[in-house]
Amino acid sequence: MTAPNSEERKACWDSRDLLWKCLDDNNDSVSSCQELQSQFEAKCPAQWVKYFTKRRDFLKFKEKMQTESFKPAEGPQEES
Amino acid sequence: MLALRCIMGDLRGGGRLLRNLHRTPVCPEGRQVQLSRSRPQRTHTRLLSGGPGSSGARLKLRVRLAVTLLFGSGLIGAWWYVYTEKQQKLQRQRLEQLRQVALGQGTFSLLDHRGRRRTKQDFLGRWVLLYFGFTHCPDICPDELDKMSAVVAALDGDASLPPVQPLFITVDPERDDVPALARYVKDFHPRLVGLTGTPEEVKHAGRDYRVYANPGPKDEDGDYIVDHTILIYLVSPDGLFLDYYNRMKSQEQIVESVRNHIKNHVALNQSRAAV
Repeated sequence: MTAPNSEERKACWDSRDLLWKCLDDNNDSVSSCQELQSQFEAKCPAQWVKYFTKRRDFLKFKEKMQTESFKPAEGPQEES
Repeated sequence: MLALRCIMGDLRGGGRLLRNLHRTPVCPEGRQVQLSRSRPQRTHTRLLSGGPGSSGARLKLRVRLAVTLLFGSGLIGAWWYVYTEKQQKLQRQRLEQLRQVALGQGTFSLLDHRGRRRTKQDFLGRWVLLYFGFTHCPDICPDELDKMSAVVAALDGDASLPPVQPLFITVDPERDDVPALARYVKDFHPRLVGLTGTPEEVKHAGRDYRVYANPGPKDEDGDYIVDHTILIYLVSPDGLFLDYYNRMKSQEQIVESVRNHIKNHVALNQSRAAV
């Protein structure tokens, strides 16, 4: 399997950006961006789809950490 | 500083001490002695130089002053020369020490994207920007290689600088053979050289610059992503690691840094050649 060339890379990144924008606008509801999701999967290698999906989660998490303060998960409640 | 004080002392003395200067050339130690010794001489001079002979004495005073200034500036010059010599020697020693512990002491022998065998010796004497990556890389490698290409192009625009050689060494020898690299490098700077080899050769090349690379799990297509060090390295003409640039560094920052490194390096080489 050959690696994507520069045009294929660009096509993949463009479809990714469109999908991410749609997800941002629609509060991350996958159903309203179904069309773009399938285009994204068609234009990018499967590994890249996985990578970019994880990357988006990471970027969102990072943004949350930077804008909101860190809230530790609530531990088990002590029974009184 | 000692020499300067010496001259100031002389000037304050109004040049009266000048007469003794040639007798006692070692100024700092001699100053106090001169002061005490010169008093009777001064009265002596006054007595002798009265009336018509006074203009001649003033002329002499000027000559003495000039001689003192010459002598003083000579002392300062000599001191300055010795001082800078010593500083340069210390700097050279320090550079030599740093050179001995720098990364990139080893060598590599890899195939370039045209199938020719290239060793590190082929690139000695040139400034090198080096990036490790792989052609199936989703976004970071192309971004960084674009940035590196733009940096090289910007440096090419400065006629006072020698051309910088961009290198790309794969961390994925399993998939990145010579044709794959040939396809890949043509998307970037025209001078970019792609390098590959056997897994051992590639690992050896990376180890020299402490590069980490770890292929991830394969999917059903046999595709995988390699997690790896994403730094651009600046390698000096003697093949040693000099600086690195991470993703946060902009193209302009890298250009500025490389330019400074090249200019300073040249200056140091010249000072070494002069000694």
